[in-house]
Amino acid sequence: MPLGVGVIGAGFAGAMHARSALGLDDVRVVAVAALPLDQAAALAKECGARVATAEEICAAPDVDLVVVATPTHLHAGYAMAAAKAGKHVFCEKPIARTREQAEAMVRACDAAGVTLAVGHVVRYFPEYQRAKQLIDDGTLGRPAMATLVRGNFSVGSAREWYLDPAKSGGVVLDLMLHDLDTVRWWFGEPSRVYARRFTGSAGLEYALATIRYEDRPIVHIEGSWAEHSGFRTGFELRGDRGMLVHDSRAASPLTVQSPAGPASPAMMAAPTLSESPYRRQLRDLFARIRHGERPLVDGHEGLRSLALGLAVIESADSGRVVEWKAPA
Amino acid sequence: MSRRLRIGLISFAHVHAAGLASTLRAHEAVEFTGIHDEDPARGMAAASEHGAKWHETLDSLLAASEAVVIASTNVDHRRYAEAAAAQGVHVLSEKPLATTVADGRAMIDACRLAPVQLGVAFPVRSSPAVVALKEAIAGGALGQIRAVRATNPGQYPGRWFGDKHLAGGGAVMDHTVHAADAIRWLAGDEFARVQAELGSFIYGLAVEDCGLLTCDLVSGAFASIDCSWSRPQTFPTWGGVTLHVVGEKTTVDVDVFRQALTHYDDTAGHTRLLGWGDDLTARMVGDFARAILAGRDVPINGEDGLRALEVAVAAYRSAETKRPVAIADVRA
Repeated sequence: MPLGVGVIGAGFAGAMHARSALGLDDVRVVAVAALPLDQAAALAKECGARVATAEEICAAPDVDLVVVATPTHLHAGYAMAAAKAGKHVFCEKPIARTREQAEAMVRACDAAGVTLAVGHVVRYFPEYQRAKQLIDDGTLGRPAMATLVRGNFSVGSAREWYLDPAKSGGVVLDLMLHDLDTVRWWFGEPSRVYARRFTGSAGLEYALATIRYEDRPIVHIEGSWAEHSGFRTGFELRGDRGMLVHDSRAASPLTVQSPAGPASPAMMAAPTLSESPYRRQLRDLFARIRHGERPLVDGHEGLRSLALGLAVIESADSGRVVEWKAPA
Repeated sequence: MSRRLRIGLISFAHVHAAGLASTLRAHEAVEFTGIHDEDPARGMAAASEHGAKWHETLDSLLAASEAVVIASTNVDHRRYAEAAAAQGVHVLSEKPLATTVADGRAMIDACRLAPVQLGVAFPVRSSPAVVALKEAIAGGALGQIRAVRATNPGQYPGRWFGDKHLAGGGAVMDHTVHAADAIRWLAGDEFARVQAELGSFIYGLAVEDCGLLTCDLVSGAFASIDCSWSRPQTFPTWGGVTLHVVGEKTTVDVDVFRQALTHYDDTAGHTRLLGWGDDLTARMVGDFARAILAGRDVPINGEDGLRALEVAVAAYRSAETKRPVAIADVRA
């Protein structure tokens, strides 16, 4: 029987996950919710799904898993409602806006016996997976220094809630969190955190964080909503036996130009993999659910990465070095 | 140019000495008066190679020169600068200015008393790309500068650069000052506070080969500096200098040594970058010499050198205490 998916939130993330689920074997997107409800119509039509309220999605017998892709501060309420109704939950990152919300989500899903997965999609990007493999198999030697950068133009002009730190957590929780999760995945739990950030006009926001492991490595992360030419990622990973360098701008096999000038900057680079990391993420999650396995990034793991993001904010705002202790 | 400045070179200890000797020999504003070295064998060989006069004694070189370039170990900068100042000879010191804030202050005081001019070798300021950015900032094109992410990573230079006494430290002492000076100059700002994480991870040295500084500036802007000796032996060039500058209106990336041919060399069995951009050492030495010939202040002075050195010294103290350190607390 196909797995029924209900999507709550029809913005950037909701559309990305719904489209990624389309075409997966034994998966059907059955319902899409948005606020206001009519904003779900186009995506629902594209997916061959019905428009429904979030409450209807949670109550629907043909929904097995709920995708929570609302603004960040609303994740917890929808995730817990879905869990209470016995639905599995796939939640866009960050898991929630606050640690308390995330802990409540984890408890609710554990109590209901449903899966809680968090969309730290970078773990499904081949370039980051390859780096992980070269760290783990010793090719790079012992990691010494790592720098990870991630930037975009300010998204606030398109979606106002991003600019409200009480809703999104700003560039640290929305963008830098990808790389904070990545360094936890690559290197494990760090020892201490130091960070600076600023918020400018017109949605400009920028942060630098230094993540220190007890012995090694030293990690530097840039999160930027001042990358006016569009989305960019990169890393430089130095072990004592070699170095890996990734730059998304140098890694596109497809470049388009026309007499009209460069196209308006897209939110993401053009798809140049046969299967996008977003679809790989869902395919893996659905397979694990079918086999009764834990998701790659479960609620506890999502909570730990959120907590590291909150530590970055605490350091940036206090000007102090923050000692890191991962939540259980 | 009608008159040339008579400049001598003190010591071939520094990896930049050969490039400085070639510049002094060729530059139109310079008359190269020769070389003195505390290691006579090394100095005589260098003099022969560069077609320069060998001076057995420091006094002989100083007597023949209006100015000297000091390319010794870092710890020797002070004694050579004081000797030159005592003879009324102007000084262009390799970076860092000294290994301690007290030594740097003593050099400044000795040169002021003489009086002679004290310059410091920060060739990044001579990069046309950096100059263009400076002009763009001054013209308001970036708006207020809010953040800078700077890197000056390199290969481990070897020699005495990993000797704490001779160099004053490791990668932090070697590389922080270039980025710190560029940030001060570009932003027209001063460093206020430094936090640093250091490690000796790659070469098994007694000093750090990895370092990352996060700094607050007086204006409220912040900056990070990666000063690590992190370029592998297989890297196609010695290292580089980059600046990612985030202004309120505009974001700018500078890659100072980006102008390079990629040379895939089957004969040597490696790939190298062959820079074809401006010779920054020649521009720096020329600006120093012309300022002295014209009786103007040199463009980069001892105070600039000391400000950059303070950032490195604060980084060491921060790494010891695991806390941010105020620049005022390391100032002499």
